[in-house]
Amino acid sequence: MNIREKFSILLLCIGLILAFLPLSGKQSLSVKPARLLTELLDDKTYFSSDQVAKFVITEDSTVQLVDLRSSKEFMDLNIPGSINVPYKELLEKDPGTFITNKNMKYIFYSNGDLESNFAVCVVRGMNYKNIYVMKGGLNDWYDKIMTSSFSGDRITARENALFETRMRARNLYNNLNSLPDSLKTKFIEEKHSSARKLDGGCE
Amino acid sequence: MDLIKRYKVVIVIVISILIIVLLRSFSIYHFKDDAAKQAMPSVLKTNLITIEKTWTLSGKILLINLDETIPSGLNLFEESFKISADSILRKENLNTIRHFKGSILLYSSDISVASRIWMLLSQMGYKNLYILTSEPDNEILKHNFRPDTLPEPEVSSL
Repeated sequence: MNIREKFSILLLCIGLILAFLPLSGKQSLSVKPARLLTELLDDKTYFSSDQVAKFVITEDSTVQLVDLRSSKEFMDLNIPGSINVPYKELLEKDPGTFITNKNMKYIFYSNGDLESNFAVCVVRGMNYKNIYVMKGGLNDWYDKIMTSSFSGDRITARENALFETRMRARNLYNNLNSLPDSLKTKFIEEKHSSARKLDGGCE
Repeated sequence: MDLIKRYKVVIVIVISILIIVLLRSFSIYHFKDDAAKQAMPSVLKTNLITIEKTWTLSGKILLINLDETIPSGLNLFEESFKISADSILRKENLNTIRHFKGSILLYSSDISVASRIWMLLSQMGYKNLYILTSEPDNEILKHNFRPDTLPEPEVSSL
């Protein structure tokens, strides 16, 4: 039996093994559990509401906010600059469809802490490293940014800067979410379209 | 015997591949196939439980405390372990979880930690895991947004 025939038999056997394996072809986590655990327990995977507010007011192009709530909740209100990927859909589709730039930070948020943290575990487990969570979600955004106030006679420079950031983020949030739905949809689409044009570079 | 001798290299390679693949597929130390299926309880929100609702769970209950200290209200569980989050994947801890016949409650004062550990273990195929929390409404928006529909004053009217 020559080498070609042996190789053919080998390939046939490997094919038979693969054919009978319990593989569903669905998405699964590919990194090692120990490595994923180390990443998940790192505080660097969180951003606070104040940090996100800074990204929003400076329109930081290296950051993309991802709203994991339903489409209806997203249209009711969202943080300016966000895209909407409902949590259930995120589990079912390839994250590569919306995580298109490995140099960007994708910050997940939901109303609280649960869905965003579930999602970050799954997506990082699929070997996407640039995935983060806004700690506390929209509830914390409301507590810190939307209801922020200053009381007292003196304000330090640091407090003043923080308060300014919060005020500006609050105004942007109010302006966007006060728009009627038709204008809001248009505004969001325009934002994403101009971001895509910027990504195109010089022609 | 002649056949085996002629194809011994092929047989050895095929059996090696088969063993490696089977070990990988059925190993308890790797993630399972179909991430969406393993994460389904988080979509249905059936993986959250409060202390008051633990009586609805049938069978034994094991509390795994991921923090350094445990609040006094959680001392009512007969079986409980303190396992820090960074050592959850140690062999002895995974064996404890795997061999326990009942419901396992994960508790941390920071729900973010408990939720991440829950997802990690669920993706490894562990079932009957719950996140013990005092705020089952964590994902409900607690504020109402009131649109700002006041017209801006025109400069000439000032």
